[in-house]
Amino acid sequence: MRDVELAVNGRVRALRVDDRHTLADALREQLGLTGTHLGCEHGVCGACTVLVDGEPVRSCLMFAAQAVDAEITTIEGLAQPDGTLHPVQQAFSDCHGLQCGFCTPGFVLTAVHLVETHVVDAAAGPLDRDAIRHELSGNICRCTGYQGIVDAVERAVEIRLR
Amino acid sequence: MMTDATAPTRKEDHRLLTGRGRFVSDLQLPRMRHVTFVRSPMAHAEIVSVDVAGTVAAGAEVFTSESPGFEVALRALSALPGYVETDQPPLARDKVRFAGEAVAAVVHDDRYLAEDAAEQVIVDYQPLDVTIGAWHQNATAVTNGAWHQTVTPVHDAAPDNVLLQRTFEAGDVDAACDAAAVVVRRELVTNRHGGNPIEGRAGVALFDDGKLTFWSGTQIPHLVRNLIADLVGLAESSIRVIAPDVGGGFGVKAVLYPEDLALCLMAKAMPGTPVKWVEDRSEHLLSACASRDHRYELEAAFDADGRLTAVRGDMWCNVGAYSVMPWTAGIEPLMAGGLLTGPYKLDNYRCTVRGVATNTAPAGPYRGVARPATVYAMECLLDSGAAALGMDPLDLRRINLIGLDDVPYRMPTRLVDDTGHYDECLDEAERRLDLAAVREEQARRRREGGRPIGIGVAIYNELTGLGRAASAGPRMPFRTGHEACTVRVNPDGKVVVLSGVTSQGQGLETTLAQVVADAVGVGYEDVEVRYGDTDQVLWGFGAFSSRQAVIAGGAARLAADELRGNIVALAAELYEANAHDLDLIDGEIRVAGSPDPIGNLADVARASWLESNRLPAGFEPGLDVTRFYDPVMGAFAAGVQLAAIELDPATGGIEILEWVCVEDAGRIINPQIVHGQVVGSLAQGVGGALYEHLVYDELGNLSTGTLLDYLMPTAAEIPDFDVGHVEQPADNPLGVRGVGEGGTLGPAAVIASAIHDALGVELDELPASPDRVWSLMRRAEVGGSP
Repeated sequence: MRDVELAVNGRVRALRVDDRHTLADALREQLGLTGTHLGCEHGVCGACTVLVDGEPVRSCLMFAAQAVDAEITTIEGLAQPDGTLHPVQQAFSDCHGLQCGFCTPGFVLTAVHLVETHVVDAAAGPLDRDAIRHELSGNICRCTGYQGIVDAVERAVEIRLR
Repeated sequence: MMTDATAPTRKEDHRLLTGRGRFVSDLQLPRMRHVTFVRSPMAHAEIVSVDVAGTVAAGAEVFTSESPGFEVALRALSALPGYVETDQPPLARDKVRFAGEAVAAVVHDDRYLAEDAAEQVIVDYQPLDVTIGAWHQNATAVTNGAWHQTVTPVHDAAPDNVLLQRTFEAGDVDAACDAAAVVVRRELVTNRHGGNPIEGRAGVALFDDGKLTFWSGTQIPHLVRNLIADLVGLAESSIRVIAPDVGGGFGVKAVLYPEDLALCLMAKAMPGTPVKWVEDRSEHLLSACASRDHRYELEAAFDADGRLTAVRGDMWCNVGAYSVMPWTAGIEPLMAGGLLTGPYKLDNYRCTVRGVATNTAPAGPYRGVARPATVYAMECLLDSGAAALGMDPLDLRRINLIGLDDVPYRMPTRLVDDTGHYDECLDEAERRLDLAAVREEQARRRREGGRPIGIGVAIYNELTGLGRAASAGPRMPFRTGHEACTVRVNPDGKVVVLSGVTSQGQGLETTLAQVVADAVGVGYEDVEVRYGDTDQVLWGFGAFSSRQAVIAGGAARLAADELRGNIVALAAELYEANAHDLDLIDGEIRVAGSPDPIGNLADVARASWLESNRLPAGFEPGLDVTRFYDPVMGAFAAGVQLAAIELDPATGGIEILEWVCVEDAGRIINPQIVHGQVVGSLAQGVGGALYEHLVYDELGNLSTGTLLDYLMPTAAEIPDFDVGHVEQPADNPLGVRGVGEGGTLGPAAVIASAIHDALGVELDELPASPDRVWSLMRRAEVGGSP
């Protein structure tokens, strides 16, 4: 076991982890951040995606001890304290981009990264539906058939570029 | 883009989008311990010994079939003649019957420690002969209507492994075949795949103070409470089952699993200690129910005009190692035989269905139950018939579809189709696809070269909202036709709905709130819907068979209508008005023709609950109505899918160019949710048609045990679907038809039909994987890269 400090959603948290404890388990079990979901635990489904220094990472494949010195953003870190949703979250709600909601945190964080990256690279050309589908292909949703999710990302990009 | 400014925000969304959902796997309780199951690596073996000494030394509690309380077994009951009842122990006893079956359960302080300790369990197995296939292995041909296979039985009670056999028969099939202009024959095999909800199975069980509480991702909490009571030795009244937020179900969680029972038995053995099990994906692929592992040998007869005159044949459904609780090994074969002929008029039908046990994971319900396979089979017969008769495949279908003049139409299996709107759906689908334009492009490519294009079609009827009569077929010791709903006005004038159904993403909190808000006359935001807790909700069977909108919606509507009547009657007395003149709109009591409200629901509710001094004679306190609803029959939903696909001669890959789906969903309560249900089910259907396949090797090892091998479609594989509706109200309180499963029914048929259309060759085996399609293209001599 080792003592580590993790910067999660803008707050530094001290915890004691075993070397083998995954980031996902540390977030869920020790910090009570149960919005990070585990869908496969072998790095395929993307449900456990969090942002580590702004980049999407599968928290089931990263050890908690590896995340020291990084800024971690989980789904709990997106909305305002008064409950106002992040524009990407709002777009998911508006476009019915979620049904059961289990894969949703991973999709939303992947989409936040996609939208923000695109806004920086807007000169690279429009983000069309095929490109969005390609970018989201590291996450699996079993409920929506993806159409509402792609709608949501399109809408979030639109709003962000306004 | 499917956004609807008028659609209410889903009540579920905020918590799910902010990471504040309440899933079983999120539950943390004081003193909680964690469970790992030790699973068999052998598909069929005698258990010689289980040595747990090392596990106990590691500080774990261990349970095996020898543990007190574990002598019980799940036993799916049915009075159907030809059904053989068998037992499924909570932990394997004497024998293991599939690779992945739980042999022991290990309890430790966290999951890491529990998994470590599980590795210390040493099981000595004596291998037995393994049966994987439900038909080819050692099977003799069908002779004189009987079918035999010689095997090492999975269960002693069924020496030939046939757990269920039934023949559906109507009319004079053989005479019709003899008189036919053409008889076509198809032998088809469909691929085993499963629901794979992104949240796997999970449960937490706590036995405390004589009462068992079981948090479970189940779709059927009241049934679980009922089924588990005897098995854990408690009164049903001493058990509470809670299904909180559930991360997808699709039928896979409408089953009482041995792991569920084991968890409850462990909790009972450890009073005061909550025990938690959350499966991982590998366990899910190994041991949760799978589906659609079928073989069909079918013939269809047509007269010279293309009228379908007879269908006859045999079906085999691989039901795996155990008869699934409570639906039995009959769930797939009975559905397959009962609904094969779908929306087509037919008098002469004979089909023998079999549920055959094998040393594979049990088969169970998965969205569409059997019909994604049977629609494929039926549509293959029609495409072969059209080819044999030289007719256009769509013309042939139009000749045979049940029409408006035919309904109510009694199918040869005695189910009654009440829709008849198939032609209308097909017209709309052709319009949306722009069939003529696709045909033109197809012809151009045939002339000038280019990747072949095929147009595929599937037409189906989705039996939804099954009432007591429609759900009687499997003859289980219960009928799932009814649901209870309580609608209550709280003292503050807000409305609470307690519904017997459950939701795993279908948005029932939202839909039922809309129904009740509308019927009572209050704002949508003032209605809260609760479900999934057997201590809160009076009674319900839960979520399956596309029944929630029809049955729970019906119960909610009946209760809300009655409650509104009670409110208005009380308001009339309180405000000294004539009840006939009163209206309740957005929580305000209004008199017809008067601009200002004369009172409001909160005031009426306060009088009713707190101020009995204001209650007029004859009025009891409380504003609370409970009603049951049972549609007795059911509501068929017509559906048509039409798609254009492009084939890559070099790789055998399929690209979906356009995919149209038009369904008769009846009256639509929430367009966004209905659209989401249709698109989601289409995507699952496409996954099963093109990618998903649970493959066992000859020793019964699952060779697709991770999501790297078992291919679930992503956003990159799934196209934008074009969804249309014809809204023909059904005969139930809301006029709705179930809409959850139809989308899964078409895709395999559409793909096979499109390949046939493109190449003139028949796809006899699913999935339509690149290697299979590539081989078909070679057979059709479509040039590609050498």
